[in-house]
Amino acid sequence: MTPRAVIFMSNALAAIGISHLLESHFSVAPHIASSADEVSIAMQDGTDYIVTDAATYVTHLSLLLPHGRHTIVFSDSTALTTSGVTVIATSRGERHIVECLNTILSPKPIHSHKASMLSSREVDVLRLVASGLINKEIATRLNISINTVLTHRKNITAKLGIKSVSGLTFYAMMHGIISPE
Amino acid sequence: MSIVYPNTKLCELVIQDPMVVTVLNRFNIMLGTGDATVAEVCEQRNLDRDFFITIINTYINEDYFPERVIDTFSAASMISYMKQTYLYYEHSQLPNIERHFQLLLARSASGSNNLDLIYRFFVEVRDGLLARIEHDRQEWFPQVLNLESLGRPAAVNAVMLDEGDNSIEAKIDDLITMIVVHLSGQYDANLALAVLLSISGLRKDIAKNNRIRNRILKPLSDALTQKHA
Repeated sequence: MTPRAVIFMSNALAAIGISHLLESHFSVAPHIASSADEVSIAMQDGTDYIVTDAATYVTHLSLLLPHGRHTIVFSDSTALTTSGVTVIATSRGERHIVECLNTILSPKPIHSHKASMLSSREVDVLRLVASGLINKEIATRLNISINTVLTHRKNITAKLGIKSVSGLTFYAMMHGIISPE
Repeated sequence: MSIVYPNTKLCELVIQDPMVVTVLNRFNIMLGTGDATVAEVCEQRNLDRDFFITIINTYINEDYFPERVIDTFSAASMISYMKQTYLYYEHSQLPNIERHFQLLLARSASGSNNLDLIYRFFVEVRDGLLARIEHDRQEWFPQVLNLESLGRPAAVNAVMLDEGDNSIEAKIDDLITMIVVHLSGQYDANLALAVLLSISGLRKDIAKNNRIRNRILKPLSDALTQKHA
């Protein structure tokens, strides 16, 4: 589905300026809303992002708060950063604003599991994880540090796409690393 | 659809996200919703409108965080909803996966693939989910209901935290990865897809329902525990 945005700002000139900055990110031109009702309708209609300023955000908190991270607020205050919205500082110039918008609105890469084989050390760690040992016991058994065990475990999960001990145990059985009993 | 309002038409909600039917069923609302709005349906069926809307919004929107949960909702209505959800897992979704898995195993030559082990992993995940459901029913829900109705303080907070790499959700993710990435050998492709889709459906529902569990019932339970401590 094509992403869409609604701009809801007290300053009409600022809204028009932001609209131009956003145009390259949306195939449908962002809608500039002049009332809270228009924003409600736009969100009901499946609009993905609300772009606003701090004063408008605070005034219409009950409307905007539920939209959490889909709300982008232009503000130099750090007070809003804990409310779950994305805050872009306006005082740092156009380049900063454009870079922030690129980061926020660029399509995210889909995570893919690496199909590469495990190293022999990773197989050793996997065998011990699947046998029920905790990290400290694995470190002692293999004479390596706990941090190294953690690194191996992180790599195993990244390569296999499996993170639970149960999942790793069944993977180890499937590949003959431990006996299926 | 991001947020549901009292004037949202129920049919539009379902058309945009058919999965929401499974939640409506838990309020005894079935397909054939007609043209009524959420407010009208709640009034016709004598449902708490704010509660219904909060449940739906928390279910469909991962960013939605309900406000004033503690003042607005009763633990009894929340637990009633959770119990309906658990019945749905026990009587619909888990048996559905089991049925597809058994057919897949029966129609795929034994020994020519790794399906037996994947099925064993499913059984472990299923048993873990059923154990958590039983714990909620036997321990957590009665404790919360006692706190609400009798104001009886509890010795311990009986909620079972289920987060991190070994949570039910994480294990279901691993089960899906196991089928998508690591399934090997000869098998019935259509039935394997049916198993995958049914597990994926359960995974989505649990993820959404965990938001309801953690964002509504858990804060409610914590507030009651604190109040009567």
